[in-house]
Amino acid sequence: MSGAAPAIEVRDLRKDFGRFQAVKGVSFDVAGGEIVGFLGPNGAGKTTTIKMITGLLKITSGTVRVEGLDIREHPAAARRKMGYMSQKFSLYPLLTALENIDFFAGISGLAPGERRRHAARIRQDLPEAVLRQKVQDIPPGIRQKVAMFVCLMPDPGIILLDEPTSGVDPEARRLFWNDIYGLKTQGKTLLVSTHNLDEAEYCDRILILHNGELIAAGEPDELLRRQGKADIEELFKDAIHDHGQN
Amino acid sequence: MGRIKAIIRKEFLHILRDPRSLTLVFIIPLIQIFILGYSVSYDLDRVEVALIDLSQGGTSRQLARAFAASPVFQVRSRSADGGALSPAEAEDMLRQGLVREVIVIPAGFDRLAAAGRRAEVGLIIDGSDVNVANLVYQYSERVILDFNAARMGSAGLLKIGTQMHFNPEARSRFFFIPGLVAVILLMISAMLTSLSITRERETGSLSLLFISPLKSVEIIVGKTIPYIFVALLDGAVILLFARFWFGIPFRGALPVLLAFGLLYIVAGLALGILISTVAPTQTTAMLAALLITMLPSFLLSGFIFPLDSLSPVLRAISYVVPATYFLRIIRGVILKGAELRHFLFDGAMLAAYSLLLLAVAIRKFAGQRKAAQ
Repeated sequence: MSGAAPAIEVRDLRKDFGRFQAVKGVSFDVAGGEIVGFLGPNGAGKTTTIKMITGLLKITSGTVRVEGLDIREHPAAARRKMGYMSQKFSLYPLLTALENIDFFAGISGLAPGERRRHAARIRQDLPEAVLRQKVQDIPPGIRQKVAMFVCLMPDPGIILLDEPTSGVDPEARRLFWNDIYGLKTQGKTLLVSTHNLDEAEYCDRILILHNGELIAAGEPDELLRRQGKADIEELFKDAIHDHGQN
Repeated sequence: MGRIKAIIRKEFLHILRDPRSLTLVFIIPLIQIFILGYSVSYDLDRVEVALIDLSQGGTSRQLARAFAASPVFQVRSRSADGGALSPAEAEDMLRQGLVREVIVIPAGFDRLAAAGRRAEVGLIIDGSDVNVANLVYQYSERVILDFNAARMGSAGLLKIGTQMHFNPEARSRFFFIPGLVAVILLMISAMLTSLSITRERETGSLSLLFISPLKSVEIIVGKTIPYIFVALLDGAVILLFARFWFGIPFRGALPVLLAFGLLYIVAGLALGILISTVAPTQTTAMLAALLITMLPSFLLSGFIFPLDSLSPVLRAISYVVPATYFLRIIRGVILKGAELRHFLFDGAMLAAYSLLLLAVAIRKFAGQRKAAQ
């Protein structure tokens, strides 16, 4: 890593919902241009952490900096650096894919010319007939592609994807990860949460979250070698077990 | 039996551990009994009436005093400049809903009474609210009968000539349907925005709006404007239905009703946005919108029970119910052919109410967005 500020810097991040501690003092960095996988079972605190990074959820304590900007002190400026795709894809089901794209381009303040350029770009990837269908009628894999496209429209340097492959078939998942690699080659930084452990192999680094705590972090191969495990699933199970023992 | 016992036990546990159910069971009935107990009454108190004395003699003044002495009536016999009230002014007050009845003591009344002939007192009653009109007539008749009894033997008895204005056939439908339009319009407006925002919260798209460069005021204004048109169209459809299906007359100017309707709808939409800031789901939002708009609009706006019959506390509450103002306007415009100038106060109150609610809604929405940071 260079001396420049990390793309995302998280320090002692905590989130309490009443007495329940959803995230318990998590710290990590995401360097510019890397793909970081945020792994953990449902309820581990992945979505809560991502929402705090994007400023969608109030931080109980700790700090989040996006390219050096504190999300609480400079929320608007920090958000402009990020694209976020939520777990539910967040498209309007009664609008067509093209209408969704036009809407999100509009609220991002893109000029009409730029909006047309974006619409032309997605037409290269998806057939016109599909783009003119209501989002509720198109398959999840394509919905996900449209949602990803929407998330990338303001051209952010940092992209946070919350469970982007959940409910998507294996072939669509593989294609989706191809797209993610494509983004990495463009110099984008990606933080991708998933509970599909096999997706760890696509990441430069992984962070394993369990019960709101970060229990392992590093490059997948290095982690496997260090722990003497054959695959991520085994590593994950042991990490959770060891964590439970402590 | 054991299986039924298991269900009974589970239901009791559920009720005891669910604060919403407990509220439903105990608090809402208490609120209802409180409000209904004070509002379910047709007894009138201090009914505003206008009195025109065109005779200006001793007997006519005695009769005017008899009306003024009645605890039921609040008599207005002077115009704003302090002079005697003219028939045109009294007619205007009736149209505006400021008085329920105009008592006319005609010229020559004293001469006829002195001659021992039967002099006639004219009662022009606002018939738009049939129940109130009947009560006002009965109360007026009682004053005149008492006056006759006191004068028995000294002069001729008074007789009553009655005119029922705006609803000569005394059809209760004429009274209820414009009121229903007002209640439905408020309910629909509040539901439209509250459901729209909670739906976006449920689907997650609100998050994208929150992290977009949009300002909170832009989100609210952008979401409100389309629903103004939807609610206005809805109102037009209901009015057309009222006119052509139920045969309700439309005696006033449509632009006047539209102008005030617009303010009223904005109040409803802003109320819906406020509801959406506290309601987590669409179901809760819908129930809240129904409860908040329908209950006060039915009971505390003058829709069913006249405002004159409410206790002072409920009367005070009625001033914060937007339907109170719009109800006077819609009944006035539709049934009485009232004009814009007749509703300047109600219109100003509606405008103030809408702007205030909208400002609070935007502030609360922005606060909710900021609370996430």
